Amino acid sequence: MSAVYGFTGKIARIDLSAGSVSIIEPQEEVYRKYLGGWALGMYFLFKEGLAEPDKDPLGPENMLQLLVGPVTGIAPNPRTAIVTKSPYGFNCITLCGGQGGANLKFAGWDGIQIVGKADKPVYIAVIDDHIEIRDATEFWGMGTEEAEMAMRKKVLAPIETSGSTLTESDLTKKWAKLRPPKNQGIGGKRLASTWVIGPAGENKVWFANMVTEGARAHGRYGSGAVAGAKNLKGIVVRGTKGQKFADKKKFLQIMGNIQKREGTSHFWRTYGTAGASVHEANIVGGYPIRNWQWESWADPRTVKTLSGPFVDQMSFVRKQACPGCALHCLYPARISSYNEMMDETITDMPDWEAMGMVGGNIGYLEAEGTDPGDPYGGTFEDMTENAAKTQYTTWFSDNTGMDFIEGGALLGLLMELRQRDLIEPADLDGIDLKWGDLNSVKAVLEKTVAGEGIGAVLARGTYETARYLSRKKENDEIMYYSMTGKRYAQPAHGARSNHDRNALDYVTVVRPCEHTGGGSKAFMKNPIDYDGAVNGQNFNAAVNSMVYCLFASGFWGDEGNVELVKAVTGWNDFDKKDFLKVGERAYALSRLFNLRSQNIKEPRKEWDSPDMFPARWFKEPLPTGPYKGKTAFNGDTAKLFDECLPQYWAQRGWSRDKGIPEEEKLKELGIAGIAGNIAAKLRS
Amino acid sequence: MADSNQDEQISELKNKFQQRVISRREFIRMLTALGISVSAGGIFMDMASATEKSGNSEAQSGYTIIFDPAKCTGCMACAIACAEKYMQEIAPEQARHTINLEFSRIRPMRFQFVDFVNVCQYCELIKWAEGTEQHPCEAVCPTGALHRVKKGEGRGGYTGMGYMTVDRDMCLGIDTCGRCLEVCEDQFGSGISFDPIEGKAQVCTRCGGDPECVKACPEEALQFIPVQVNGRYYANNPDHAAELLYKKMFNKERAL
Ligand code: SF4
Ligand code: SF4
Ligand code: SF4
Repeated sequence: MSAVYGFTGKIARIDLSAGSVSIIEPQEEVYRKYLGGWALGMYFLFKEGLAEPDKDPLGPENMLQLLVGPVTGIAPNPRTAIVTKSPYGFNCITLCGGQGGANLKFAGWDGIQIVGKADKPVYIAVIDDHIEIRDATEFWGMGTEEAEMAMRKKVLAPIETSGSTLTESDLTKKWAKLRPPKNQGIGGKRLASTWVIGPAGENKVWFANMVTEGARAHGRYGSGAVAGAKNLKGIVVRGTKGQKFADKKKFLQIMGNIQKREGTSHFWRTYGTAGASVHEANIVGGYPIRNWQWESWADPRTVKTLSGPFVDQMSFVRKQACPGCALHCLYPARISSYNEMMDETITDMPDWEAMGMVGGNIGYLEAEGTDPGDPYGGTFEDMTENAAKTQYTTWFSDNTGMDFIEGGALLGLLMELRQRDLIEPADLDGIDLKWGDLNSVKAVLEKTVAGEGIGAVLARGTYETARYLSRKKENDEIMYYSMTGKRYAQPAHGARSNHDRNALDYVTVVRPCEHTGGGSKAFMKNPIDYDGAVNGQNFNAAVNSMVYCLFASGFWGDEGNVELVKAVTGWNDFDKKDFLKVGERAYALSRLFNLRSQNIKEPRKEWDSPDMFPARWFKEPLPTGPYKGKTAFNGDTAKLFDECLPQYWAQRGWSRDKGIPEEEKLKELGIAGIAGNIAAKLRS
Repeated sequence: MADSNQDEQISELKNKFQQRVISRREFIRMLTALGISVSAGGIFMDMASATEKSGNSEAQSGYTIIFDPAKCTGCMACAIACAEKYMQEIAPEQARHTINLEFSRIRPMRFQFVDFVNVCQYCELIKWAEGTEQHPCEAVCPTGALHRVKKGEGRGGYTGMGYMTVDRDMCLGIDTCGRCLEVCEDQFGSGISFDPIEGKAQVCTRCGGDPECVKACPEEALQFIPVQVNGRYYANNPDHAAELLYKKMFNKERAL
């Protein structure tokens, strides 16, 4: 790539089997088409042939990519995207904030691709152009918090290290007598960014993740297991080169505008997602309560336990932002609890997904002896302890490097099976897993991380665990309680009230069962706004290809998504349509990838089964709350799968029978070259 | 345009604000009352125009920069403002299209759950104990490259008012010397950095008494306040400082 602005024009390809590093220099056209992150990552997965079902996600052939986008660097709200093949067999596209994305760009890379498998634990140290594969034996087994700090200490730029030149003669005599120099040279600064896996990733737990800055995770779809399978403990990046802009002055102006808009947001600047979500979820009928048996507490006072002001008063210590961000959504916290095990544990907030999945979903909030349909029976102390349990479980998940969405769904499944006497403690190696019981939650998670005993089954996630248990117990009813869509956990957004997410939203998203698809509002309209939904999805996929924060996208607007890209790259003809097209490409590629990699021949038939989407959505009316009595699509799955889904596919220019992007569409998007063959195979 | 009477009122307000007699909010409110338009909220200034304007406000001598770790979010706005300003000075050609944080003399460093803002603390040696009143780094510089720029000298908005600077022609650079940073890390903090092009030393010049970073901070975490002459200000090594902060904020020890 010639005139490089914004991008660096280089991606490092690291082969852990060979111990070698090479450089890929994509054409400018590739960057224009895919920008970065999600879309660019999918492009490379296709080039690598990873859509083929026989390519093992946990084998050396899989490729783990850490990617940024055109403006990532100095621009506000940078993220990194990990794109790889998930241990679940579909795509893994997972984003995360922090300073790492900027550091990677400053080191001169638009991304890192890692293939192969090291024969012993390693970590990758990137200092500008210099990339080393180093021994990580000493870090193996460490939790993410400790590993990150220990590993990062080892990576300093040349201008931060030098031997000693100072002698006593440089000091005055008196001074030298008082304090002679220790001759340690220099190295006190800490400016690198680090991603690590925890023991869960090392043991290839399918929902293990990669964590940075203690509590920020590339949370979903199992990136940590892919790293663990490569014997890769972590990646440390220190960049000293800065970033180049076509029109720096304009860039700075737009950046200032975005930041000013962000600065006006009381919602974000007060408690982040802890601010309103709990109340909202209880009101819109979208709070996961005891494995989704309820979605609202009969007594709204119950949610005070996890409301922003309450957890703030009991535990928030400060605020933390990603570079250039005035929203600062992360609140490092210190747990206050009467329980010694939990007290003074250091973690972040919990954010909304944690409040849902390892809060309400596993029965942490109700007072003992009551159920969610009862008045709140607890005291102030109960609230403190219950909030602490959610925080502690969040910490445990982050520190072992595990996704608490999938983890919370798994626990919810097992607890409901126990509630209904469909399993007994013996099925969980003697652990009696009851609603709200922190000690047994911890015991189950420890087994999962270690892959020991029943843990080896649990490590494959909610759906596989349900299948295992239903076979073992010879009871198909067990599958009913697996709250998974396309074999993956439903996150903390309800599908029944039609005021949070809806079933069509969950059925259509190409990152299985994601809650940030972007089409939600339009999907919930009556009649359904297909055009709006598709645009919303393309928009979010484009944001994830620009690789900046979805929370911030509302403050960026067209000025950020179009004008900022122009100022950074110098692509003066880049417009809103180009931006959305990137998202559309990402969608089409991800869709084809998922169908091919899982060998799905008749998607409508295969998904229209209680095994593929929770039958509870359609069969069980909401028992409480303002939407009491509602089911998803009024229980009419035929309408969902035979009417709405084909119409959605048609809106996208995908075939009505299978949802395969049509030849014309692939050509229009300029991806017939890399995905045409697979699409043709799928069509026939 | 403000008339001269207004100018006086503004400078008085400014003094009060800088000495923390009035809060930033009051400062802005009073300015607005005087008919001066102020950008809303003080959240992230527009850096493109700020750089052009710099040097216009009143410079103070004998002030220092302090940082409030409870307010700081680690957003790096201070570093971007500093880098943008000084890269233009040091490497104008490269700066036309580039922003590089390595040119910043103030660097927020993210440890785990704590952010430490690393900037020179202007520690002074004490004559009766250490035999000199110089800054430690200044005292060990073999060439005199690291020196103070007197009031009335230097470049307004960049150097002067008694604050240090590095004469880049005289500096031997990190490859052959680096004593300034070494003594700093050996006994004080880590207040010196080296530019990524020539590897010459960089130290916070307090922008000649009107620091850009303080203006850029959206969280009011940085303050430029008069040094109290009752002793000496001590810098801290970033990793030590972060460990202390971690202990203070979370009541736990952690090797950072
Ligand atoms: S902090 Fe370091 S650079 Fe600043 S005066 Fe002290 S020794 Fe010199
Ligand atoms: S690196 Fe430069 S400023 Fe520092 S002590 Fe050596 S000559 Fe002086
Ligand atoms: S600008 Fe302020 S809040 Fe941001 S890193 Fe610097 S001191 Fe902290």
